[in-house]
Amino acid sequence: MTHAPAEVAIEYHIAESEARRRFGSPRLKGLALLAPAVVVAVLFSLIPLAYLFQVSLTQDSSFFFTAQYTLDNYREVFSRYRSAIVVTVYLAAMASLIDLVFGYPFAYILVRKIRYREFVRTMMTFPLFGPLYLAFGLFYILLPNGPLGPLFTMLDINVAQYLFSQAAVLFSMAVFTFPFMVMNIGAALSNVDPMLEEAAKTLGAKPWQTFVRVLFPLSWSGIVAGFLMCLGWNLGVFAQPQLLGSPAEQAVLSIQMFNKGLVQFNYGLAAALGILLMVMAFAVTWISLRFSRGALGA
Amino acid sequence: MASVAASAPMPAAGRRGFRLRWLGEALAHGYVWAWLAVFALPFVATLAYSLRTPDGEWTISAYQYVFGSFTGNLLLSVQTTVITIVLNLVIAVPAAYAIVRYPIPGKSFVLSTLNLSLYTPAAVMGVSLVIAYAFLFRIPQTMTGLIAAYVVGTFPLMLVPIIVALRDLPTVFEEAARTLGATRMQTFWRVEVPLLGPGISAGILLTFVIIFNEFLVTLFIAGPSTTTAALRVYNLTRTAGFQPSTAALATTMQLVSFVVVLLFFRFFGSRYLKGTYLI
Repeated sequence: MTHAPAEVAIEYHIAESEARRRFGSPRLKGLALLAPAVVVAVLFSLIPLAYLFQVSLTQDSSFFFTAQYTLDNYREVFSRYRSAIVVTVYLAAMASLIDLVFGYPFAYILVRKIRYREFVRTMMTFPLFGPLYLAFGLFYILLPNGPLGPLFTMLDINVAQYLFSQAAVLFSMAVFTFPFMVMNIGAALSNVDPMLEEAAKTLGAKPWQTFVRVLFPLSWSGIVAGFLMCLGWNLGVFAQPQLLGSPAEQAVLSIQMFNKGLVQFNYGLAAALGILLMVMAFAVTWISLRFSRGALGA
Repeated sequence: MASVAASAPMPAAGRRGFRLRWLGEALAHGYVWAWLAVFALPFVATLAYSLRTPDGEWTISAYQYVFGSFTGNLLLSVQTTVITIVLNLVIAVPAAYAIVRYPIPGKSFVLSTLNLSLYTPAAVMGVSLVIAYAFLFRIPQTMTGLIAAYVVGTFPLMLVPIIVALRDLPTVFEEAARTLGATRMQTFWRVEVPLLGPGISAGILLTFVIIFNEFLVTLFIAGPSTTTAALRVYNLTRTAGFQPSTAALATTMQLVSFVVVLLFFRFFGSRYLKGTYLI
């Protein structure tokens, strides 16, 4: 015996109104389900960041005794630590650019020519285990008696000169963020119909013309998203310059912040450096979200 | 007839074109393989270093430390990772459900607040938490603080794949179960959770890969009793230089991570990882 549709609708309606009586409105219930996440985010992300901003406006460590409010920390950041800002932005931009130049062909080949994509994806997770192991491994490779020593000797390359150099830092930064670039450009390219390239070719376009006039405009969104994502990660870089760079030349904001805050206990200055880095990272994220209209479409 | 045509000598231009195309293909695949080698090289080098003595002999003696003085760090890493995953699930599954299935006022604003920690550089998060823990919450260098930092930093990553999976899931299954008399809880546990399996496991994988290898936030907020294995690698590198024993620990960490990733890809594929941290 089957229910007539109307009967089902009535029963469903009754069940629904009973649920409503027992648990309140769906809006309240939704908020209740969301509550733990919001509490955690407010307690351990929003409040510490607001607190950091407050501390950044106080002299040295005075905040914890008798707070003396001042803008001196920010003045110092923009005068004495200007070189740190410049080197942070420069390294992040260069590493992201390297990713773009080398990542675009990689993503194109991956999407258009390769059938063993799962294998490539699996191998690409190695850098994502962290910049720490990456820097550690590269350090050993660059040692004069490293595993590739004979190869470099044969090619007449003195690898040891790259130890503690900008080149090594940039290379390790680029390798760490490479998968993010490939992922974004690959996603954009897989939405481009291969027929369009065929059509351009049939109509007599040379490969570079097809790239400039067809592929590049159609994958623009992926390029922007990938570049900004790499930039966001690279702005907060810490391990690579710390292990592979020189303390004087690659003293990026994260490292300065660690030294000021946890070595010299100048919390005010460390907080100001942190706020600056956060503003830079949020600006990058904001632009990228504007471009992608929100990754989740929410 | 076709076979005759195929075996007939090709015109010179055609043969050159074929050869050029073959060369292009080989270069394309070679380019990808060269990058894959670059990705794996630091790991392979670390592995090789962990197996060498200063005299150039091969030995596994460096691994005695992994099962000796580093065991505590490794166990702590496993422990914090597991606790974080459980807490992330408890927080993220209801939140994702609410975001997809319930009317939430100011949904995009709420999502941005939840994702705030995702956009904060790790060092900034570290310095903000070390100050807040020491002077506001009074939980400096504790396990509680460490776990809280891990949870706030990774539950948004758990949220994304579950939201994607829930969006893909038509509501007809839910409606059918409800029509047949199942309560909301029964529907959720018996119908939706099994269907959401891949999305939830993608979130678990992301949390695992990040927390198991996290050292930067940990460097700021951990104390002597809460040194995770990844932080131990960093500390040893800074204080003792590059030692085979450190390499052995770094190798073990990467190997465990890689095996987990392999198992995940084997069972679930990479579909639900799209648009997240891992590919």
